Amino acid sequence: MMDWWIVWLLLAGPIWALIGGVYIPRLLEPEEGHASELHEGDASYRLGGAAGGFALGPLAIGYLYWRRPVRMPRGWLTTSMLLGVLLASIVAFNLPDIRLAVLLWLLLAGPAWAIFGAYITPRRYRQLGLDDTQALMIGALGGFAAGPLVLAPLWYEAPKLSARWSSWLALLSGWQLIALYSFYARSFDDTFCFLYPGNVTYVSQQLINGINIGLIYALMAVGLTLIYSVQGVVSFTHAQFYMLGGYCSYWLLEIGANSFGITINPLFGIPVAAVVTFIIGAVFERLLLRPMHLGKVERIHEYAILITFGFGFFLESLVLSTQGPLPVKVGRYLDVRRFELVLTADRDRIIGPLRFLGDRTFTALIGLLLILALMYFFRRTWTGRALRAVSMDKQAAAVAGINPLNMNTLAFGLGAMLAGISGAALIPIFNFVPWIGQINAGRAYIIVVLGGLGSIPGALIGGVIVGLMETMGSGCLAGGDRAAAYKDVYGLLIFALVLLIKPTGLFGRERL
Amino acid sequence: MIKKGMLLLLLLALSLPGLSFVGAQDDCNFAEETLKIGTLMPLSAPGAVLSGEQMRWIILEAVEDINEACGVTVDGQNWAVEAIIGDSEGLPERSQAVAERMIFEDGVVAMAGVFHSAVGLATMGVMQANAIPTVFSEPWNDNVTANGIQPYGNAGARVESNEEGIDYIFRISPASSMTSKASVDWLLYLGVDDVVIVAENTDYGVPAADKDKELLIAGGLDEDNVDIFHIELGQEDFLPLIDRILARPTPPDAIKTQITGETALNFTNQMTEAGLAPNEDTICITNQNAYQADAYWSTVPDGNYCAFFRVGIVPALLTPVAQALNDDHYAEFGADIASFALATYDAVWLVTDAITRANSLDGATIALEIERSDVELSQGRYHFPYTTQTKSPLEDGLPAWMWHQWPDPAVTMMQFFRTGQRGPEAAVIWPPAYWTHDTAYIEYGTDPEAE
Repeated sequence: MMDWWIVWLLLAGPIWALIGGVYIPRLLEPEEGHASELHEGDASYRLGGAAGGFALGPLAIGYLYWRRPVRMPRGWLTTSMLLGVLLASIVAFNLPDIRLAVLLWLLLAGPAWAIFGAYITPRRYRQLGLDDTQALMIGALGGFAAGPLVLAPLWYEAPKLSARWSSWLALLSGWQLIALYSFYARSFDDTFCFLYPGNVTYVSQQLINGINIGLIYALMAVGLTLIYSVQGVVSFTHAQFYMLGGYCSYWLLEIGANSFGITINPLFGIPVAAVVTFIIGAVFERLLLRPMHLGKVERIHEYAILITFGFGFFLESLVLSTQGPLPVKVGRYLDVRRFELVLTADRDRIIGPLRFLGDRTFTALIGLLLILALMYFFRRTWTGRALRAVSMDKQAAAVAGINPLNMNTLAFGLGAMLAGISGAALIPIFNFVPWIGQINAGRAYIIVVLGGLGSIPGALIGGVIVGLMETMGSGCLAGGDRAAAYKDVYGLLIFALVLLIKPTGLFGRERL
Repeated sequence: MIKKGMLLLLLLALSLPGLSFVGAQDDCNFAEETLKIGTLMPLSAPGAVLSGEQMRWIILEAVEDINEACGVTVDGQNWAVEAIIGDSEGLPERSQAVAERMIFEDGVVAMAGVFHSAVGLATMGVMQANAIPTVFSEPWNDNVTANGIQPYGNAGARVESNEEGIDYIFRISPASSMTSKASVDWLLYLGVDDVVIVAENTDYGVPAADKDKELLIAGGLDEDNVDIFHIELGQEDFLPLIDRILARPTPPDAIKTQITGETALNFTNQMTEAGLAPNEDTICITNQNAYQADAYWSTVPDGNYCAFFRVGIVPALLTPVAQALNDDHYAEFGADIASFALATYDAVWLVTDAITRANSLDGATIALEIERSDVELSQGRYHFPYTTQTKSPLEDGLPAWMWHQWPDPAVTMMQFFRTGQRGPEAAVIWPPAYWTHDTAYIEYGTDPEAE
């Protein structure tokens, strides 16, 4: 018996709702003489048809079709919705496992209400002659957050909608998602993140991991956004400059150890990598990208993609053929493998111990300082302002005495340098192989688009968001055997969501 | 300026990756054409590029050695062997396309080598359909050989795919079940009762971890005390997963990695750095890459006392050929040679030996000669006891993967006990017949060679 209820709730009900919602208004329309009245009632027939279809299927739709009422019968919508909720409740309470109920909402009912809300709300607002610019988003978010509980008041009251509504409903949806998920996750022994007293330490630890790796990601991405904002091209060499920076640091330390017998701290590898990658980047731009800005190249976008991709391939093959495929790594910044932190109050432990890996923490700090320094550079120095001016309007900048071509070279050199610095900063943490950039490049592009192409704060925030999503997904997803395997997906999810709501990215603009 | 720059880049790019290689002797009177043998290896991410590069090197060594011995003789004519090297990227769909290109455009007569189980599983159907005799030297997935006599996925048994009942696929690397059994036997001998397995999410890692779990449970462990976590090949940051394992109420007795390539080194490094293992409570079992010690110690500086499994004969018993290859490999890469590289070297020899004996370039004739192989190469004596000319392993009560499988690849467990040790210096701790320090495990913080 139970199975039939589930089949109705998941399959037959939604199909009848769709039929009712889409076709009932059309079925009623041909009756001459009723056209104007039916038109006025179009949206109410849509909602009534959908709700009736979901609750009673062909019975409701057949009744509406044969009776062809001029107005929706009184109480029709409320009765249908109550029947629908009753049906869902019967199924939910009879489910063998509460996890199934939560999954049903997360995967089926929530999204279905969201689609329904997105479909019906703008039509209702248009029908009433109200501003419907926010109606689609609010209908979708409201449908997902609380289904009919939000959609019904929206329908009847049709309140004035604003961006604040969107924000609140987005928060409510987020909270709904977390609450539902945490309820679901409680059924798993290996999930430590949600609603467990005493798991504050674990959650804090994962948050620290996420922010830590997020700052490192941001460091990788920031050079890419700089190049795009000034040059207007996406550099496909970025990954290889990152790799080259790491190898520069490695070679410096190797030379120090093998030729002079001294152990050099990897911190000194960073300026060396910065200089080398800046020079290579600037020379590359001067020789191979500048002609593009001088009008000597046709189809400049294709040219930019091919030339940067080709140069990246060359760099990678060069390092592979000279250095070999074995992974390399350098020693530690600090002679501390890890340290722990315990927060106490009146000798009672509140949180802890929280583990910090020495080098990771140090690298994250380097990343944060560099990004802050970069923001200072762009806002407080003449050269930084000149770069910003070129990113805003090349011609106007030229009129003001700034040479855009030199700024292009400087921007590419700086972008390459930032990639190189991040490589040099990370080689004490991750093993480096000549193709390492390929692995990270995809993530850097995601971060840049998520934060908004051309925005340095966007790269910072985007990096931290992706880091947090990956870490919390890997650390908190229930049924952890696959949680870490899908690590890259979590960042993509938030990326897709942000692009849906704000296609220009979080801080999207085309200048610094 | 631009054209010059583009041309320079193009020339440099084209000159770097060698796509085929022939090393030939002048006095062998070779035929004008070469005899092409194909091979697939990961030379780009996300595959295990480190292993792919080593495989490429050993293939070229094998071809050079074979051609120095006047190549392959068919109908009294010497043929120089040419290796057609394809980059699989470790991706099944890509490897299928490359394999088809090798067969239809390059005209390979046989395949040898191949890295990654996913690539082996994806391409074996292509080889079978086109009658290309293939000797796999690395894919471990049981189904690579089992599919010879029993269905796998949508594919029926290979022996039923043609009228002659010929199976063109052979394997000289161990099956996954063989390596699992060795390491699980060792763990059970040590008396562990709580194991965490971290495996790559591939056609190698998933079944290998499942097999480990099955054997551990069969050995008496509670099902709840064997946890499997999957990771993605090429992943870099494992800290969230490591913290998840650290948050368990009690530390596991052992952490076993079923990960290939540099990803394994990254995971092991982060595991040791976070203090998860090795320590007094938890045994660390890392990938056989550890045998290539220079890379291991430079990337896993805290990896002392980690155990690792090694496929292939124990270092003390290396044959002269294997020892010479190891020396060359060390000179080239600064690392001792991995067993899959030796197996790949042998796979090329095995194929060319079969072609010479077959005195034909016909795929079916060559495959039947590979079945009859009985030849001593760098890793030992190669023979295939279960073939179309003998019997099915099922008749002897053995699993289906023993079909077209070399039965004797050695699997040992080894363990470092001093930072900076070379692979061959590590202690052999399993099986007991090969013990070098009279123990199955060197306790954390001890040195069995200390006075």
